[in-house]
Amino acid sequence: MLELRGISRRFGATHALDDVSLALSEGEVLGLVGPNGAGKSTLIKIVAGADQPDAGEILIDGKPVQFHSAHDAYAAGIRVIHQDAPLVPGFDTVENCYLGRHYPRRAGLIDRKAMREAIAEVAADIAPELDLDLPVMFLPPAERQFVRLLRAIADKGRLLILDEPTAALPAEDAERFYEVLRRTRERGTAIVLVSHRLDEIADFCGRAVVIRDGRIVARFGTGEVKPEAMIAAMGGSATERSTRATDTSAPRIIELDGVAAGDLSRAASLHVHAGEVMALYGLAGSGRSSLLNAIWGAIPSTGSMRLEGAAYAPRSPRDAIARGVSCVPADRHRSGLFLDQDLVFNKTLPLLSTYRRARGLPVPDTAAERAEFLVAAERVSLTYRDPQQLARTLSGGNQQKLIFSRWANRHSRVMLLDEPTEGVDVMAKATIKEIIRAIAADGNAVLVSTSDRDEALELGDRIAVFRNGGIVRIFSRAEASAEALSVAAQSREAA
Amino acid sequence: MTRTNLNRFGTLIAFVLLCVGFSIAAPQAFASPANVFNLVQQMATLAIVATAATLVMTISEFDLSVGFSASLAAVICFVLFGQGYDVWLAVPAALLAGLAGGAANGVLVARFGIPSFVATLALGTILSGFAFGLSGGQSLFQSVPDAFKALARGDVLGIPVLGFWIVGVLGVAAFVLTQTEFGRRLKAIGGNAQAARLAGLPIMRDVIVTFAIAGGLSALAGLLLAARLGSVQHTMGEPLLLPAYAAVFIGTTASPTGAPTVAGTLLGVAITGVMVNGMTIVGVEPFVQKIMTGVIILVAVLLRRVGRAK
Repeated sequence: MLELRGISRRFGATHALDDVSLALSEGEVLGLVGPNGAGKSTLIKIVAGADQPDAGEILIDGKPVQFHSAHDAYAAGIRVIHQDAPLVPGFDTVENCYLGRHYPRRAGLIDRKAMREAIAEVAADIAPELDLDLPVMFLPPAERQFVRLLRAIADKGRLLILDEPTAALPAEDAERFYEVLRRTRERGTAIVLVSHRLDEIADFCGRAVVIRDGRIVARFGTGEVKPEAMIAAMGGSATERSTRATDTSAPRIIELDGVAAGDLSRAASLHVHAGEVMALYGLAGSGRSSLLNAIWGAIPSTGSMRLEGAAYAPRSPRDAIARGVSCVPADRHRSGLFLDQDLVFNKTLPLLSTYRRARGLPVPDTAAERAEFLVAAERVSLTYRDPQQLARTLSGGNQQKLIFSRWANRHSRVMLLDEPTEGVDVMAKATIKEIIRAIAADGNAVLVSTSDRDEALELGDRIAVFRNGGIVRIFSRAEASAEALSVAAQSREAA
Repeated sequence: MTRTNLNRFGTLIAFVLLCVGFSIAAPQAFASPANVFNLVQQMATLAIVATAATLVMTISEFDLSVGFSASLAAVICFVLFGQGYDVWLAVPAALLAGLAGGAANGVLVARFGIPSFVATLALGTILSGFAFGLSGGQSLFQSVPDAFKALARGDVLGIPVLGFWIVGVLGVAAFVLTQTEFGRRLKAIGGNAQAARLAGLPIMRDVIVTFAIAGGLSALAGLLLAARLGSVQHTMGEPLLLPAYAAVFIGTTASPTGAPTVAGTLLGVAITGVMVNGMTIVGVEPFVQKIMTGVIILVAVLLRRVGRAK
C-alpha cells in the first residue's frame, strides 16, 4: 500500500536521507533498524507528513501523493505511535480513542453508546482483555500501549509506525504487546516497527531494513531477519557474554542484610565483591530499582547495610555521594538530566563543591569545570559539538553517557546503574557496557538493575533475580541461563 | 541580524526604541536629568521585589506573598518607631519578619509539598492580616527618624540613593545566581527537581532558603518604599505583585532558554517603568497606560514564542 521512491532530505550539508526506497503491503511488518541519528526519525516524519522530502516520491496504493502536513498523512490512514504518545489520564479508553475526532451525535448530544460500540468492536479483535471504561491512569503501562494502538487503528488507520513501542515495558508485557500487534496485523494493517531491541525485530518482522547515515545499507527478507546480521550491517559487533567468575576472595565492598524499601517488600540480603558486577534482573516494580534507590539514599529503607566494612545508612543521595557511592538513575529525562542546561552544568552538578575557586568559597571555577568535563567526555566517548550546547540537543545514547561522565573523574567505590542502556542505540550500548566493566575492573562494586535478560547475562558476574518485591535467587555465572532467569523472574509460585 | 540574535537582544532593542521614541516626543521632559533621577527612584522598589520573584521563579515556583511581606515589614518598622525604638532595632526587626515569613513559605512548599501558588497566597493573606492589625488600619507617619528616610532619599554625587540600592541588591543577586554553587543548584531544582534530588542536592534546604531570601528582599523593598514616602499604609506593597511578575516575564524573553535572569528582570522593570513614565509625560490618560502596559507584556511574550517556534 505504501511505496517510497528515492526519498532524499538534507539539512544544510548533511544528507539526513539519501535515496531511500522501500515498499510495504497490507498486513506486512517491516523492521526499521539503525543507530541513533541514522535518519530513522526523518524518514518517519516524512511518511507522517511532518516533514517534506527534497526529492523522491511517496505512493499510496500505487498513486503518487504529496503530504503537506501531518493532517494529509492522517487522512491517508498513516498513524505514528510514539513511545510516550500522551493519553488523557482521566479519560477512559473510549474517550481517548475519540480525541481529535468528531463525536457521533444523537439529538445534538454526544452519543456515548455509539462511541463505545465502535471502539469495542475493534478492541474485541485485537485486545479483548482491555477494560474500556477505566480511566487510563489506572491501566498498567502495557495496556496503555494497547490504547494507543487502538486509537491509531480505530479511525481508519491503515499503516502504523511504531517508535520503540516496548522500550518502557518489561519482557512479559512486551510479549503481550506483540500478541496484540500480531492480531492488528491480521486485520490487514501494515506496520513499520522501529526498535533498538533487535530480537523483537527478528521475532516479529517478516522483513527488515537497516539504515545508516541516511541510506539503506541492508535489506533482510523472510527468514533472514537475525540480530547478528543486523548488528553487523549497523557496523557493530555482537557483544560477548561475561565469562568471568566472581573472585570470592576479594573484599566485600557492600553488604546488605535484610533490606526492605519501596517496592522491595521482602527483606533482601546480598553482597558485592570488589571488581564484581552484580546484575539485578526482574520486571518493572519487582523491587530491583527500589534496592538501588535504598543504597543511593533516595528512599527510606529498613535493615542494615555495610560499606567497606563500616555501617552505612544514607539519609539522602548526598550522604551516599560522600561515602563514594555513585548512581546513574533510570529514566534519564525525568531523573537524570537538566535538558535546558549545558553539558558542563550537567556533568559537574553532583560534585560541584570540588571545583571551588578557593577553599571555603562556594564559587565554582568554570575553567576547572570545563577542563574536567573534557577529560570525562573523552573517558565515556561522548560525542558532542560544544561543552556549552544544551543537554537536550544530544542523542539518547550521548545523554546517557553524559550522566556517566558525572562520576568519571572520581573513584566510586560503589556504582549503581538503573536501566543504563534503555532507549540507547547498539553502538552506544556497547560503549556503555565497556564503561561498566572498566569501573568494576578498577576494583569497585557495580550493581546494574535491568529488565533486559540478555543484558543481565552479558554484564552480570552474578545475577540476582527479583520477583514480587523480593530476591528469588542469586545465580552465579555458571548457573545462569536465559531460560533459568526467565523462569525465576516470572513463574507465579514462590521459589 | 540572525534570528537568534534578534531573540536575545530583541527585548533590549525594544527598550532602546522606547527610550528614543519618548525622547523625540518629549525631548525636554523625558530625557532630562531630573526625570531620569525620578525614574530610577520609581523603579527601585519594584526592581527589588521583582528580584525576589526572579529567585523564586528560578526554582520554578511562585511567591504571591511578596507585596504582603513588603507591607508588613513597613508596618512593623513604623509601629516600632511609634513606640520610640530607633532605626537600628526597627529595621532589622522588619527584615527578620520578612525572612521568617519567607522561610515559612519555603517550609510549606518544601516540607509539606503544598503548591507554592496556594501556600504563598494563603500565607501572604495571613501576613496582610497582621499588617492590618498592627497598623490598626491607619496611615502611619509619626516620629520617623531622618536616618531612616535617608535610606531612600537624596543623592550621592548626583546619583539617587535608591540607584545604589538597585545596583547593590541586583548585583549581589545576579552574582549569586550566575556564579555560585547555590545559584547553580537553584537552576537545577527549577529545571528538574527530581533529577536534582537524585544528584544529591539539598533541595529542601535550598527551597526554604530561596523563599526566605525572597521574603527578606520584599521586606527591604517595603522599607525603602516607606522611607521614600515617609508614611505607611497596610496595603501599600500589594500593587507591587503583578508588575513584579510582569517584569520577570518580560525579562525571560531576553534569555535563550526562557529562564528568568536578574539582568532580564531589570530590563523588564525598566521597560514597564519607562512606559508609564513616558506616557504620563506625553499626556496619555492613565487608563490607556494600563492597557498599553498589558499589551507590551503580551507582545513581548508573543514575539518570543514566534522567535522560538522555528
